Amino acid sequence: MKQRILWSAVTVLALTVAGCGSASKPASAPAESGAPAAAATKLVVWDWKSGEPYAKTYIEKAKADFAKKHPNVTVEFVPQPFEQYYTLLGTAIQSKTGPDVMMFNGGGQIRDRVDALLPIDEYVAEDKSRLAGWEAFVKEGKTYGAPVTLQGHPIYYNKALYEKAGITAPATTWDEFLANCDKLKKATGAACFALGNKEGIGPQFWLSGMGSGVLTPAEYDKWIAGERDWKSPHVKKIFEMFKETGDKKLNNEGANSTAMFTDIFSVFNTAKAAHIIGLMSDIGHWKDFGEFIGPDKVGIMLPPVVTEGATPSLPYDGGIGYAVAKWTKDPKAAADLVRSLTTTDALSSFSAEAGAIASDTTISAPQDAPVVGEIVAQLKAGKPALHVAMDSKTIDLMGRLSQKLLSGSATVDEAVEELAASDQEN
Amino acid sequence: MPTKNTSPAVRPTERGRTAGGGPRERSRHGAARRRGRSERFAPYVLVAPAVLIIVALRLYPLALGVNFSFTGDGEANGTPVGLANYLELLDDPLFQTALANVGLLVLLLPVAVAIPGLLATFIFLKVPGHRIFRSVYFFPAVLSPVIVGAIFNLMLAFDGPLNEVLGTIGLGPVDWLGDPGVAKFAVVGVQIWATFGMALVVFLAGFATLDASLLDAARVDGASLRQSIWHVIIPSLSQTIQFVFVTTMIGMLTSMFGLLYVMTSGGPEGSTYLPEYYIWIQQGQMNRPALASAASTVLFLIMLVVGLLQISVLRRAGRED
Repeated sequence: MKQRILWSAVTVLALTVAGCGSASKPASAPAESGAPAAAATKLVVWDWKSGEPYAKTYIEKAKADFAKKHPNVTVEFVPQPFEQYYTLLGTAIQSKTGPDVMMFNGGGQIRDRVDALLPIDEYVAEDKSRLAGWEAFVKEGKTYGAPVTLQGHPIYYNKALYEKAGITAPATTWDEFLANCDKLKKATGAACFALGNKEGIGPQFWLSGMGSGVLTPAEYDKWIAGERDWKSPHVKKIFEMFKETGDKKLNNEGANSTAMFTDIFSVFNTAKAAHIIGLMSDIGHWKDFGEFIGPDKVGIMLPPVVTEGATPSLPYDGGIGYAVAKWTKDPKAAADLVRSLTTTDALSSFSAEAGAIASDTTISAPQDAPVVGEIVAQLKAGKPALHVAMDSKTIDLMGRLSQKLLSGSATVDEAVEELAASDQEN
Repeated sequence: MPTKNTSPAVRPTERGRTAGGGPRERSRHGAARRRGRSERFAPYVLVAPAVLIIVALRLYPLALGVNFSFTGDGEANGTPVGLANYLELLDDPLFQTALANVGLLVLLLPVAVAIPGLLATFIFLKVPGHRIFRSVYFFPAVLSPVIVGAIFNLMLAFDGPLNEVLGTIGLGPVDWLGDPGVAKFAVVGVQIWATFGMALVVFLAGFATLDASLLDAARVDGASLRQSIWHVIIPSLSQTIQFVFVTTMIGMLTSMFGLLYVMTSGGPEGSTYLPEYYIWIQQGQMNRPALASAASTVLFLIMLVVGLLQISVLRRAGRED
């Protein structure tokens, strides 16, 4: 009997230990990355690009460059699904274990998480003039990430539809633009705008795409600097124009139930709409559109002028970039890895293969897409996008309010008032 | 069980053999005491793994989560903020919508139970083709919510097939997933479509225990279909109906995330938010883990109330037996 109890106790103990062991193992695994105290022998990188076939050469070149500087340090790239990326990262940040280097979207996503990041100004000083788009990775004067691509919101138009409607050049004023929409509708049946607002992303693109034609340059700069004057009639005008596109049926039907990613791009690709405020990198850009409507039929235009004195410009920021975690054991090596990921050689591969406008201003644009030349030509005069300067909570609210504006269940005044309150609170 | 029978037969002879020995007797007493003590501990040792697993992997993380909900986010990370997160939740119109939608789900529950109940009745009454219907009805239950969501995204798209059919019979297009008044019903409808198969099977199992002679008697007495459903089938199936009510409720409250994520992303205008989706958004997109913890605690309390109701309902149903 005694033996039986002893045996059952041993079995129980063994089971418990085995149970606990297997349960706790995964949690302790990430900490191994920084195990040796003196110098890291392994750096772990999280991103959502390194697993893609088009990023293969880019990652190889970056690894080779890094191996020259730190031959003893191994680098492990862990591609995460983008949909879950910030959720996974949030958990890692909470437990203060996780990757040494990680990818971020510029703007709100990185600014909300700078508590977990290391300022890298001292390491990247040399790259400052070569790369563009740093502002999206800066908070309170400190740089937390190095840009890989530029992300912006050109207004693309379909040149074939323009020709059919007999329009020779894009409009430069809002009234002229509305008149063109009318002509396009009559001649081709195409909607003026392709708008996918299911996720509520539409107004972000609208605000940034149209903003420089409505706000005065002074207002624009103040907005970016954080002094946003929500009482300005020009700010209100941007949202009135957005509502106008709904009221005048300038958008494709069912805009509130059409997803921006990626249903709406097919509306533009199939010539059912003449304009779309798209992206410059990753998706929904010149390369995607060119494949469907022909590279020479994709045009970009600056936003029409609404306010006298406004100077339309291309809105863009640093798109994606790499940052260094605060808890990394060897900040120098981690920062060097970030620098290796932004060399001219690596970035030119990424630009060509992934279809992105790279942050490096010294590489030349691909030859087979004339519109890229037009985009690059606008970079110099371009300014940071208006929506990137806002916090993610206000952005989320703007998404919901924009759906209300389109459906008519909120007025522009109510929307602007709510946005102002949320913006000032955060 | 041969061992159980043989052991008593052995013991008396053993006892008879050792009876009478003085010091031996005393040591035997000590052994018995020891054995008594270890036997008293045996049950605790045996339940230890279950208790340890529950405490270490369930209760402790739960307590951590609740504790976390009283701390701040961002710059206030880790510092206690009292009830601030809960007050913020109460103030957030989005969370209010999420809770109101929980209420809506409770209101729609009778519909979600009545549909499989009625269809099971028809199958039980052997309508023509009942064998085919039985398997066809169950089919959606094996599909993952993501697949169901993707299918209905296409079906319910503004330029999708459903609107085209409506168009041909002269009805204007409905923005199924873009109109806040329609979208939440559309999603609940899809959820019911996707899950009623399971409830149907439970109902069919309930029908198997139904006394067929009662129905025959009703038929002989000239009861109409409605009368036999109302006066014979429903009373006989009261336990099954209660069970389906409770399980459907739990299913609706805890497993609609996938559908919401794929079909509406909480929109339009935030009208299809549920607490689960809110928690995910705050944690993953807004970087507010502590606020998400507070919302999780609220959802936990709601589920606790539902769970306790479930236990009391099932217990009452058991007593009626």
